[in-house]
Amino acid sequence: MSTDRGIAAPPSGASARLVDRGDWRRFVAPAVVVVAAGGILLAGGLTTAAFLTVDNFLIIVRAASITGIVALGMTFVTISGNFFSLSVEQTAALSSIAFAESFAHGWGLLAALGCSFCAALVTGAVQGGMVAAGLNPIVTTLGVGAALYGLAAVVTNNEVVNFDTTPAVTWIGTGRPLGIPTQSWAFAIFTLLATLVLLRTRFGRETYLVGANRNAARASGISITRTTILAFTLASLAAGIAGVFTAAQITQAPLTQFSGLNIDVIAAVLVGGTALQGGEGSALRSALGAVFIALLANFMLLRDFTYGERTLVTGLIVVVATSAFHLLRTRGTR
Amino acid sequence: MNVNVANLLPRVALAIGVWVVFALTDENYRRVDNFFPVFEGFALIGLVALGLSVTMLAGELDLSVGSVAAVAGIIAVKQSGLGLVPCVALAVLCTAAFGAAQGYAIARLGINSLVFTIGTLIAISGLAYVMSDEQSVLIDLNDLGLSDTITNRLWIFSPFSLTTIAAFVLVGAFLSVTRWGREIYAIGGGRNEARAAGVATVRPIVIAFTLSAGLAGLGGALASLKSGAAQPGGYDSVLLAGVTAALVGGVSLYGGRGDVLGVAVGVLTLQFLLSGLSSRGAEFYVGSLATGGLLLVVLLVELIVDRRQVLRYMRRPAFSAGEP
Repeated sequence: MSTDRGIAAPPSGASARLVDRGDWRRFVAPAVVVVAAGGILLAGGLTTAAFLTVDNFLIIVRAASITGIVALGMTFVTISGNFFSLSVEQTAALSSIAFAESFAHGWGLLAALGCSFCAALVTGAVQGGMVAAGLNPIVTTLGVGAALYGLAAVVTNNEVVNFDTTPAVTWIGTGRPLGIPTQSWAFAIFTLLATLVLLRTRFGRETYLVGANRNAARASGISITRTTILAFTLASLAAGIAGVFTAAQITQAPLTQFSGLNIDVIAAVLVGGTALQGGEGSALRSALGAVFIALLANFMLLRDFTYGERTLVTGLIVVVATSAFHLLRTRGTR
Repeated sequence: MNVNVANLLPRVALAIGVWVVFALTDENYRRVDNFFPVFEGFALIGLVALGLSVTMLAGELDLSVGSVAAVAGIIAVKQSGLGLVPCVALAVLCTAAFGAAQGYAIARLGINSLVFTIGTLIAISGLAYVMSDEQSVLIDLNDLGLSDTITNRLWIFSPFSLTTIAAFVLVGAFLSVTRWGREIYAIGGGRNEARAAGVATVRPIVIAFTLSAGLAGLGGALASLKSGAAQPGGYDSVLLAGVTAALVGGVSLYGGRGDVLGVAVGVLTLQFLLSGLSSRGAEFYVGSLATGGLLLVVLLVELIVDRRQVLRYMRRPAFSAGEP
């Protein structure tokens, strides 16, 4: 099925099958994630005293928020049938540097936000344009990521950019309205927004159709180019937002601050069960995936797992989850 | 060998062009001695690019090569007491066995290799950190002679770069002369047509992923022994370099097209560029910018030159009778 197209071909859905909305299988992936998260909560509560505390939950929620916000953006790329982007961590770093540099130059908050979001929008639109022209999304974003990293290092002389914070920036970075971190508010709001966009807007429905069946989408007059560019722009914008939040939180922009974000975000989207061949998935699933990955990471951290052990477990879960979801999907249509 | 001369010539010209640009402006760069570091870089990236190319010829891509190279390096350095050949052979056997299992899983599940190998990239990278206790694994002081053996200089070559050249010859012969090698081209060029013509589809994919993991393992093992230390995160950048070199060398991401001679030229082009930049005192991140930039330029050129092939893939009828 999907292998018939080779890696370069934009997947046009599992043999032109459109998503059957009444299919019970589409509830399996989210249900598995919820059950697994419940299992971790149970295991954590029974074995680790520090796990089921309010403080620890705030830590988990904040950790999930940054990954989650970017995963929401990546969901558009994945649903539109373009697998995933390997440049979101570099985009986030570039945006945080743009934010910090603006402040270091004495510009105001609005100019700083404008600069960082512009940087993200441009990189996203360019990548979307290249992929829409027929280039492989993974290899394109791999190259763009390396170039962006080099560019950011050249601009900053590979040094950490520090800036003097203002009350507004402090609030963005560390504020806690109603006791919940601003990042988590943003994560919740963006989950809602992304869900609404995917289900209730024309662009959202076009994204599903382009991912499910590229040719049918083209035949019905949908612009594949526009949908692809918008999807990559949203992913980049989400990375930019993550970059701004992080820069505001730590009042500096180290180049390597986001290293590992690409992998975390892809893991969140894959574990959430958004179909990698496109056309199927939801913002809520990616959000759930991000929370699951954060829960798991936090649990393993409290159980004194090393970095290597945590990465190994996460990787194995990604392999098993994607294989299982893939089998679930293809068995139903064979 | 089925070498496409018209395809190869512009790539050779590019390689020479890059060399000339740096040679004209840098006296040290044009000395024959400078080919030694170029071929040392060629040795590692060449092995990775060679393996990646085989998966690309089959219409797949192995994203896990960097993690696999790191694990191979740790195995080889930890077992250096066995002697040079046994410890390298052990590392290559382990990684090739993993590659075979990975290829079998991809072929049997019918899953997209990009999706599967991004998962194994994460898992194997974790394994590398676990095996090394999260730190550099240093070679046993008694075995430091191994490093000398690998770096032993023979004119502009070393045993390391000669091993890589031998690997290119062997893999090139395998791909163009043997039936199993031709199957890899066949399933990459048109999988449904190949299947209809009776070509096995599992075996070529298993072979391709075995080669990519085994060759990355060979590169990681030799490079780690050479430097006397294996770092668990030390080979994260070889994927970018390998893919770039393969694409510069004319291996098509659309599968079925390319040859090892082109890959060798591609790796040399990249190494001429990187060594030229570093001989001018450029920082390491300029190399990242240059490699990423080169990759994007090659992609765009391929897009323009091969517009027809790209369009054929983009507009591929979804309901064609050939589809299973």
